[in-house]
Amino acid sequence: MDPATLIPSPDAIPVPWGYFQFLLILTFFLHLLFMNVMLGTSFIALTRELRSPTAAPPPCRDLASKLTHIIAFTVNFGVAPLLFLQVLYGQFIYTSSILMGAYWLSVVPLLILAYYGAYLYKMRHDLTAGSRRGTLALSLCLLLAIAFLFVNNISLMQNPQNWDAYFSQPDGTLLALADPALPSRYLHFLAASAAAGGLFLAILAWFRLKKGEQGAARELGAGMKWFTYATVVEAGTGIPFLFSMPREVHQLFVGGALLPTLLFSAALVATFLCLRYGAQERVWPATAALAVTILCMILVRDLARQAYLAPYFHPADLAVSPQWSPFLLFLAILVAGGGAVAYMLKLAAKAGREVRP
Amino acid sequence: MNYPVWQLDFFGGGLTIALIAILHVYISHFAIGGGLFLVLTELKAYRENSPEILEYTRRHTRFFLLLTLVLGAITGVGIWFTIALIAPAATSILIHNFVFGWAIEWVFFVGEIVAVLVYYYTFGRMDRRNHLIIGWLYFIFAWLSLFVINGIIAFMLSPGEWLTSGNFWDGFFNPTFWPALFFRTFLCLMLAGLYGFLTSTAIKEEGLRHTMVRYCATWLLAPFVFFLASAYWYVQSLPPGPRAWVLNLDSAIAPSLSFFIWGSPLLFLGGLLMAIRLPQLAKRTLAVVLLLLGLAYMGSFEYIREGSRRPYTIADHIYANAILARDLPTVAEKGILASARWVDKEITDANRLLVGRQIYDIFCASCHSIGGPIRDIKKLSAKYASVYVMEGEISGQGKVIGCMPPFPGTLAERNALATFIVEGLRGKKKPQAQPTLSAQPLAPLPFDPETSQYLLLAWNNMGMHCLTDADSLFSFLPPANNLHAQLIRRGPTPEVVTEGVVITYQVEPGFENPAGKVEFWKYQTPLYGTSQPENIGLSGNGLAGTMTLNPDSKAFAADKVPVVPYPAAGGYMPYPAFTIEARDKATNTLLAATRMVAPVSTELGCKNCHGGGWSKEVAGISPVPTRDFLTVHDRFNKTKLLAAARAGKPLLCQSCHPDPILNAAGNPKLLNLPASIHGWHANFLTGRGAEACALCHPNNPQGSTLCLRGIHNELGLTCVNCHGTLEDHALSLLLAEKKAGKPGADRLMKHLKPRSVASLEEIKPRTPWLNEPDCLTCHVGFAPPETDTAFNVWTESGDELYRNRHDESGSIHCAACHGSPHAIYPATNPYEKERDNFGPRQYQGNPYPIGANKNCAVCHTVEMEEELHHPNSLGMMRNSRE
Repeated sequence: MDPATLIPSPDAIPVPWGYFQFLLILTFFLHLLFMNVMLGTSFIALTRELRSPTAAPPPCRDLASKLTHIIAFTVNFGVAPLLFLQVLYGQFIYTSSILMGAYWLSVVPLLILAYYGAYLYKMRHDLTAGSRRGTLALSLCLLLAIAFLFVNNISLMQNPQNWDAYFSQPDGTLLALADPALPSRYLHFLAASAAAGGLFLAILAWFRLKKGEQGAARELGAGMKWFTYATVVEAGTGIPFLFSMPREVHQLFVGGALLPTLLFSAALVATFLCLRYGAQERVWPATAALAVTILCMILVRDLARQAYLAPYFHPADLAVSPQWSPFLLFLAILVAGGGAVAYMLKLAAKAGREVRP
Repeated sequence: MNYPVWQLDFFGGGLTIALIAILHVYISHFAIGGGLFLVLTELKAYRENSPEILEYTRRHTRFFLLLTLVLGAITGVGIWFTIALIAPAATSILIHNFVFGWAIEWVFFVGEIVAVLVYYYTFGRMDRRNHLIIGWLYFIFAWLSLFVINGIIAFMLSPGEWLTSGNFWDGFFNPTFWPALFFRTFLCLMLAGLYGFLTSTAIKEEGLRHTMVRYCATWLLAPFVFFLASAYWYVQSLPPGPRAWVLNLDSAIAPSLSFFIWGSPLLFLGGLLMAIRLPQLAKRTLAVVLLLLGLAYMGSFEYIREGSRRPYTIADHIYANAILARDLPTVAEKGILASARWVDKEITDANRLLVGRQIYDIFCASCHSIGGPIRDIKKLSAKYASVYVMEGEISGQGKVIGCMPPFPGTLAERNALATFIVEGLRGKKKPQAQPTLSAQPLAPLPFDPETSQYLLLAWNNMGMHCLTDADSLFSFLPPANNLHAQLIRRGPTPEVVTEGVVITYQVEPGFENPAGKVEFWKYQTPLYGTSQPENIGLSGNGLAGTMTLNPDSKAFAADKVPVVPYPAAGGYMPYPAFTIEARDKATNTLLAATRMVAPVSTELGCKNCHGGGWSKEVAGISPVPTRDFLTVHDRFNKTKLLAAARAGKPLLCQSCHPDPILNAAGNPKLLNLPASIHGWHANFLTGRGAEACALCHPNNPQGSTLCLRGIHNELGLTCVNCHGTLEDHALSLLLAEKKAGKPGADRLMKHLKPRSVASLEEIKPRTPWLNEPDCLTCHVGFAPPETDTAFNVWTESGDELYRNRHDESGSIHCAACHGSPHAIYPATNPYEKERDNFGPRQYQGNPYPIGANKNCAVCHTVEMEEELHHPNSLGMMRNSRE
């Protein structure tokens, strides 16, 4: 069956596609930062729980207590890119979501459980070491499962040639397991998350170090170690990930086309810098390098998606029926909302230390 | 049609959305009202200088945070996931048209999260004023979220100007925007009180507990009157379609509406109870009960809102099954398979069920479940006995019943869908065996052409006559057949005898006691306003008696003889015979005697579409279908027929609907009964032939009556040849009612298209029972017919009806020589071949019309050369039997 016959007709957009593309990249970047930190933090916290003697006090309550906030903002900053993705690629993402509907909808209860698990870990001080480990492990597993489902959906949406499996399996239980890029793609994201988690640990330690807290330097070193080693793994999984993509896609990034190659090269340079600053335990340069790496990789990823879908669609094909006033209002509210958030954070910072329940 | 359909079967689209949406809205509305509750309660603590109230506020904030930030926020994302899975096309429209509305809402969402986290984690650590500012900011962000989402949700119900302009602001500030905003805002405040009960009843110190529970009760009670006022405003501002669903108390949303109406005083009462001193346990329990009541209350409101949008997801723009309203004509022209993407493109015998399933997925699955608790298609379709009638139900959607979208498929697609629903889901049933139809042979009475002086001709004039034998529930046809007879004195100049004779009738043995078989006599008073003795019909005639002379027609008649098709020995026999005798009035000498059949059937196929079975094995209207169609009538016409029947006072249909057959005036504003019954059902049984007639009338080829038994049937003519297809037949009746200014006609005519003529203007309106097909339309000048279509040429009055008409001499009824309507000689009776031909066989020894094949001598005793009775009456029988 010609996949093109299955692709639904898209709806018109109110401003040219480039605006949405920009918003998609920007908000996805923020989402990815939080998401990486969320997964990485959970992973590191669990390994520490497992390593620590059961009688010892919780080894990483500080770290894990941030988890609930990070989940909140991961979800929140996930909403915006999903919105803009639906605007640009609705006919693909709706379809792939339906094909894996049962799994896709399960994201909701899984996330609620993981989230409450994180709150349980954070708020209940009377948990035994076993319960703490169990709770954290459960939350982590659920988050990993959700990440796996997201990776599947994104993979499925850009491979319409696999969609006809629906006809023999219309009950929403398809996954993108047929996509050879899936395993390396997933592992690549997990490694990136571990790296970001390590860096987050180091950043927290850096602030504690500034206050002269005991053990902060050791913590910073540990965090940077996580960051560096995970970045090595990340780079290691990135190579098979690249070459598991179809030839016409991956070639774009290794000399096939200028912009993709440039972006990919920039990402590689930034990764190298991550390793270097990581090894040197320089927190802020490493953070900047990681941010650049993530941004470049998001752009690379976006170009790859366009290449996957090139036979069928490009967002520039979308009809535009212009309505600017809602867009302008959005920008105004974004600025005002940002101001309000900054004001609140300032008040919070002034209020001093967090009060823990 | 654009997207694949996730086959959810048990859950269906409805339950999946309902489960997640109701939970979300219940928490998200609390997240708004509860925000104001927090900041005002904190302020109260400061004003009253009460550290206890402040501590309560902090603890309530923790509960608030855990509930709204996790369950509330994630289920909100969950709704988005769910609608994109169940209704992707509509979701795409909402996303693309309101993308910046959603984006703005997202900004508010960010603000909410930051505010609530800061508020909670700085509780007691931040400067009071600043902390209150954070609290206010939270509430403002939360309420602004509602402001945005409300615009989009209200848009789905009342898109207003957007439908033509496509403008964001027209869609956003739509006709129900403001009332819905106020309604939801007041609801938010009330929910703050309801949720507050949960935490305030847990306070250990009694004094504080009582104070805070009362405080929460104020939150619940104070907005109530404003809430109800905004609900009224909301209903008033609904567009006509949704408003009609709500105000007409449509049965699909009536339970929710009742719950909402009854839930309001209950909640209010609960609030009052909470305000008085009660033991803590009682209050804790009551708090939980009220919270659950609130959930159901909220659910019922959302259900009403969604239900009143039917058949659309976005009113007047996209149907619940994702077909755009503007695309419907194109889809109807091309068909579903040609228009949809995720389907097989051809229907074959091998894939009919599979394609039927695919069409089901597109057309039905967004609302219906398969075996699930919400709108279970198996349960809803159980009453449709066959694929054929299921197709009818599918055709009818979106016409007279507006809650579902119209079905735009081809006939083959309709058949595939019906086959999937009936055979795919319920399993294929073996076709029912044709009942064996037989009767004890009954010979014609003797006649000697040489010596007999008289000829007694008898017939019934009711044709395909039925009796509605579910009198405990309703009636429109009483047990009432009309027997007619003419006595002819034989001779070279025969004479119709009207004086000096007495004509009597007597039903054949076994049929004398209809009161033992039907409940007519038990319910005649509520139904007909009569109180006849048992076995006596509405005109005072029994199963045996004397006929009276109608001098104008020169015939004797016994009207409304209450014969029923149930012999004393059991079983079903729709052709009871009567013996008619003519005696000399003075001497009581028997002058002549004959037999006739008075057909009476209870094979009215209501059960084919309304469920249940026959009441008497092969015929008879049973209570199940009757209750069903009374329910349908009650639902769509706001009557209380079923309730009346249950109260022992069943109603006669003609007590409201005028009907010439019963001389019933009814309510002159309403459609006459034939127009309304045929008009309603024609909307379902479109594109059919005579088999559609046989679904209701007793002429089903597999049935137990086969009432069309005259020569026309033998020649292959059907109901449609004379009466037209169901659509044409109905339109002719409705058109007359429309011209009479009856408002109900348009509703039934709106979706009916004429079939035998090009336009509605060409259909000739007619009054039922008076303007009927005219034999002379085909038999022009009594000559052999050159056409077989009699539709659209009607008798001008009752006098021209075959059953009332005379020959050209004005003496002999057409039916006297040619037989009863629908049993024209030579007739073939399915129970006993010659049963309908008693007269011809008695007088001529053949089944042909009296005098056929130049047998003038049967009356004239000599051969005749003049065509006295009608032209061509001296022709030879064209349709002789072998």
